[in-house]
Amino acid sequence: MKRALLVASREFIENVRTKGFWLGIMMLPIMLIMIAVIPIIVESTREPKTFTVIDESGWLLDASLERIALNGPQDRFSYVPADGRDPEALNEAIIRGELFAYFMLGRDPVNDDEGFRYISNNLTNRELSAWFGRHVSAEVRLRRLARENLTEEVANWVTRPIEFEGVQISTDGDEEEVSAQDVVRQWTPVAFVYLLWISILINTQMLLTNTIEEKSNKLIEVLLSSISPVQLMAGKILGIAATGLAIISTWALMALLFFVGLPEFFNIDLPVNLGDILTEPVYIGSFLVYFVLGYLFYAALLVGLGSICNNLKEAQNLMLPVQLVQMIPIFVMVPVGQDPNGVLAKILSFIPPLTPFVMMNRAAGPPSFTEYAITTALLIASIALALWFAAKIFRIGILMSGKPPKLREVLRWLVPARVKLS
Amino acid sequence: MRDSLVLQNVCKSFGDKIAVNHISAQIPAGSIYGFLGPNGAGKTTTIRMIMNILMPDSGGISVLGQPPGRVRDQLGYLPEEKGLYKKMKAAELIAYFGQLKGMDRTRARTRAAELLDQFGLEHAADQRCDLLSKGMGQKVQIISTLIHDPDLVILDEPFSGLDPINVETVRAVILDLKRNGKTVIFSTHVMEQAEQICDAILLIHRGEKILDGTIGEIKRSAHHTISLEYDGTPIDLRRIPGVIRVNDMGKAAELSLAGDADRQAIIKTLVAGMTVTAFTVKAPSLHEIFVRHVGESPE
Repeated sequence: MKRALLVASREFIENVRTKGFWLGIMMLPIMLIMIAVIPIIVESTREPKTFTVIDESGWLLDASLERIALNGPQDRFSYVPADGRDPEALNEAIIRGELFAYFMLGRDPVNDDEGFRYISNNLTNRELSAWFGRHVSAEVRLRRLARENLTEEVANWVTRPIEFEGVQISTDGDEEEVSAQDVVRQWTPVAFVYLLWISILINTQMLLTNTIEEKSNKLIEVLLSSISPVQLMAGKILGIAATGLAIISTWALMALLFFVGLPEFFNIDLPVNLGDILTEPVYIGSFLVYFVLGYLFYAALLVGLGSICNNLKEAQNLMLPVQLVQMIPIFVMVPVGQDPNGVLAKILSFIPPLTPFVMMNRAAGPPSFTEYAITTALLIASIALALWFAAKIFRIGILMSGKPPKLREVLRWLVPARVKLS
Repeated sequence: MRDSLVLQNVCKSFGDKIAVNHISAQIPAGSIYGFLGPNGAGKTTTIRMIMNILMPDSGGISVLGQPPGRVRDQLGYLPEEKGLYKKMKAAELIAYFGQLKGMDRTRARTRAAELLDQFGLEHAADQRCDLLSKGMGQKVQIISTLIHDPDLVILDEPFSGLDPINVETVRAVILDLKRNGKTVIFSTHVMEQAEQICDAILLIHRGEKILDGTIGEIKRSAHHTISLEYDGTPIDLRRIPGVIRVNDMGKAAELSLAGDADRQAIIKTLVAGMTVTAFTVKAPSLHEIFVRHVGESPE
């Protein structure tokens, strides 16, 4: 064990002390922040969309512009007067790019809907027509109400939709209101599944690359003259696990800083307290346990696989089935999150390669204790089996060179040597 | 003398291919012992079994009086395929291998520094392994093999790919180990190297033992050769009774003699028939012995 730890600490130190490693770790949070921030920056620097209006009614445009001025105009859109130009002239202006769009308002809006048009070369972006249309509708509505001798208050009352208040029952039977906090809490496991998935994927991939590199740097024989293959394998799995935990802790720290530290520092009140949700024991606990278990399971698969390959290309072909299985948790993430204790969620929980992800996904449920106990026991048994297989394959594969063996050959390594009858 | 290594009827096959077929040998402690044979003869497989990296299919191996695997920490092994962790510093790498052999950290570090000093590499201690020159890298590998002061050192093709200066270094290391009472086993397909340095050898071909014993014994029992230099036209050397093979180079020739050949009669025939300017009768080289046993050249 001591020597396995020695191997592990060497792996860990070699990984952690390179600059590339830390840059790589920072990439993910930085990318996430950029994805959040860039659209805001782009939006704020965008040129306003220029539009004009041909008003056949003679009063609706003025009324609408007045209303817009009262309700706070939008920087995104800029109105220019039509100056008596006819539609043909305006069409040309659109083609030349001087105008984003123009509206045509009907002759008699109070009595009929005819003659309302929105002309633009970009009909996928309907922001402008929605915004201007809202104000035009409001003005027309006011006048239609007046014609029917109704006040706006009465109209609002008549048309107001019924709203259902969301209530959930707490474990002790009390009714409690559903807050934004609860909704976020319900969906937090999905974020954790993502994180879990990425962490396990990155780490097992690292282990695979590392195993193949070890084979190619010709040190295997020297190592095996000092330690057993199982010690070497255990050391590698542990070393990369430690590296993985370093990565996750860094991310967690950055997330805490970003979601809790920054708002605190700038005194911003967030509608939900993310810090509280993120540090909830059931989430953090599930995450850590399932990271370790999930990692061990896939580590066993990949270290065995890596040991029979001479280069990454060979490994990639063999990786395909494993990768397909690894994709399933992502596909079922939303359905499982919506119904954490549904049939699909329950069935998938009992499939060991999926257990860590699906159970993490269900953490908001949460699943019953019996389910936790049985799925975890199943998972641990599978890990033990996978590690045992991996050790057998690793022992032989790590010294092999040349073409990777066929599946049948590998299976033969797993059963004890048969006596040849001849 | 106690034996450092005993092989008894060791067999190993991979699928249908028999790599090692009933090999037996005894290697006395404190000797330099050569595993000789052409590439693919089974040398590396035998060594891997001694190092407990492979298990023999049958037969017994005793290393330093124990089954292999029990004494791993007392063995030093330099495989034919040599590598280094590129990103590690030379001194760190050597200390790491020392620790893997059970040395404690401080001891491994001091010893690494001492050995680097001894090999004239003190300036390279803090250099990353991928920045070392080839010769320096090879020395670092040898130091890694020796850091824990092993009783039995096994070197697989230690001379292959070395320039003449480094060949000398390795040779000096091997002799030094012997002086300190260690046993050294090395494998090579270059017979001349073995002949110069080994006390005893094991000659393997296609997984089978051809012969073993001390160099002296082997040479005494082997057929002799006559080297001669001559002027003018030689007589037909192949026709001389007792000569089994001739290597005629034009001004000089080497005659291989049958075991029961009458050397005196052959010399008389030579002197009578042609102008012999010099001749020596000598025991054959290992290379010659190998060729005679196997019928082909080891390289």
